[in-house]
Order: sequence, then C-alpha cells, then structure tokens
Amino acid sequence: MPGLFKWGGRKEDEPRPAPAAAVPPPAPEPSNTSKVLPKVLSALAGQPSPVLMDLGPVVGANISFFGDRLACKFYVEDFFAEVEQHARAGTRDQLGAIFATRLKYPAGSIDGILCWDLFDFLDRAAGYALASRLVPLVRKGGILYGFFGQKAGEISQYTRYIVDTDDSFRLRTSPATPMPRTVHVNRDLNKMFDGLAVTESVLLKNSSRETLFRKL
Amino acid sequence: MNIGKSVIIKGELSGSEDLTIEGQVDGKIELKQNILTIGPNGKIKASVFAKAVVVQGEVHGNITATERVDIRDNGSVDGDLSAPRVAIADGAHFRGSIDMQKGGMKPTEVKPTGTTTSPSTPSPVATPAAAAVSAGR
Repeated sequence: MPGLFKWGGRKEDEPRPAPAAAVPPPAPEPSNTSKVLPKVLSALAGQPSPVLMDLGPVVGANISFFGDRLACKFYVEDFFAEVEQHARAGTRDQLGAIFATRLKYPAGSIDGILCWDLFDFLDRAAGYALASRLVPLVRKGGILYGFFGQKAGEISQYTRYIVDTDDSFRLRTSPATPMPRTVHVNRDLNKMFDGLAVTESVLLKNSSRETLFRKL
Repeated sequence: MNIGKSVIIKGELSGSEDLTIEGQVDGKIELKQNILTIGPNGKIKASVFAKAVVVQGEVHGNITATERVDIRDNGSVDGDLSAPRVAIADGAHFRGSIDMQKGGMKPTEVKPTGTTTSPSTPSPVATPAAAAVSAGR
C-alpha cells in the first residue's frame, strides 16, 4: 500500500506552493534623548488643564503620555495629511490658502502647539501663512515646540515623534511623496514666529534643530 | 446584538445591551450602560454616547464614553472624543479633540470659531480626501 502513506501529502507532479512573502522587519526606532522636552512639559505643567494642539498625525502613545502627565485637552489637526495630498497632486503652493481656512480657534486659547517637523515640508510662503495663524492662538506664557531641518535636500519620509519619557522620544518613519525640504535658519524662525521668543534651541545629530518658542 | 452590513438607520438608536454595528447609522446612538462596537464595515454619522466605544470602522461625529474609547488599527474618527481613557492604535485616523476628564477636572472649554459642519461637531472636520491620505500614512 505505497499510496496510503501519501495521504494529505503533496503529489510529485504538483507545483510547489510559493513560499510565503517574507514580512520585512520593522525599521529600528532609536531612542533620542531630548533636552528640550522636559522644558516643554514643565511649561505646560504650570496650567491646571492645558490645551494642546498637535499639528501632526495622531499618535496614540503621545495622547496617553500627555494625557497622563498633564490631564490636558488635545486638538489633533494632522496637517501632514494635507501636505501629502498636495504633494501627490503637485499643488503644494496651495497649502497656504488651506491654513487660512483652518485653525479657527479663539486667540490665546492654546497652551501648547506641537509642530514636530511640519515646517520642513512647507514652502516658505505656506510656512509663513501657517506661523501667522499659530502665533495668535498661543496664550501668554504658552509654548510652541518644533523641529527644523538644517540640511537642504529632498525628503522622502515622514517622521512620527513618539514620546517615551519626560526626556526621550523615538522616531518612526513612513514613506512620503518626495519633496524638497525647506530650511529655516534662525533668522527666518524669528521672523516667521514674530510674537514668540526662542527659549531653547538644540542642534540634533540628524541636523535638525529642536526648538522651543514661548509667548512672553 | 448586531446591525448587519446592509442595514441603514436614520434617526435615534438607543438600547440597554451591547451592540455591534456593521451597517450605516445617521443620527444619534445612545447605549449609556453598554459597549458599542463599530465594526470594520460600520459607517456612522452620529453623536455617540455609550459606556465604552470600540471603533474599527468610520465615525463622523462626536463620541462620549463614560469608560473608554478605543480606536483600532484602520478605525477612523473625525470628531471630538470625551472619555476618561482613550486608546488610539497605530494606523488609526483621528482628527478632532480629545478630552480625558481626569479625576473630575474639567479642562477649559475652547471651541473653534467660525463655520463648522454641524452644531454638534465644533472642531474643524477633515475632508474625506484628507482622511484617506492620512490613513495611508
């Protein structure tokens, strides 16, 4: 009964099944120590229930982190979605007009704005348009936190900043439609965010400047 | 209790048992003592009040939960969340505000001024195109 032992097995003339597609391992997420983040937290901790606005995509871990630390209210705007949409359509120059129709919050109603590296993805005009909308929203004593790339070139990935502890975050990347990075030097930043003062500015290994602004 | 894929409800939905929605609901949902699950095929345009809300599908509207809101991978919410605990998975889309009332503290009420899509959704609401792009990030 030679065939008996072949039950359930593959027939010799049957094609071999294709091997399962290998799942690429997740990209490493190195942890970065931040000297500025503790100052962001201490500035916000002074308020009983601060109101935070996040211009990036929602990151569940950050909501939990800031919620636990500060019992804050969060507004998630996710402007990167607009950036990607317009980069794909080749209409990045229209982003400035979009900022004019969003962010309809009362002046002085926001304690902290988390920009992450959004301004790297905006051309100069859109950057100025957004900054001019943001500055009036920050209450006196409130902060704006961002990362500003200092090396010109093409950006082909977005970065999510995942806050792990009071002084460290991880970077998680995802693909982006390639676009040129807009470099804002300190003089540009001072002009763009007229009304806010740079209180901390640290150059990171990746040539990005981690910056904390404050409305004095 | 399950509301199937082909069911469309327009109006107010309330009850006292856990509910899973795979269909479409436009209006208001109230399950104050129970768990509401919006399944992967569920499409909700409503204000939602429940003990706990799990979102695997799409919600346009505000969600208030007395215990928790859980937006799972591929879940999408455009609206405001109010719950003591909020969990948002990687890959989920969210745009709106999150209010986690810790220990009875009431955060300062800040409402965007100007045009909004409806009186019950004070935050700026995403365009569908923006939401779709965001989900792919």
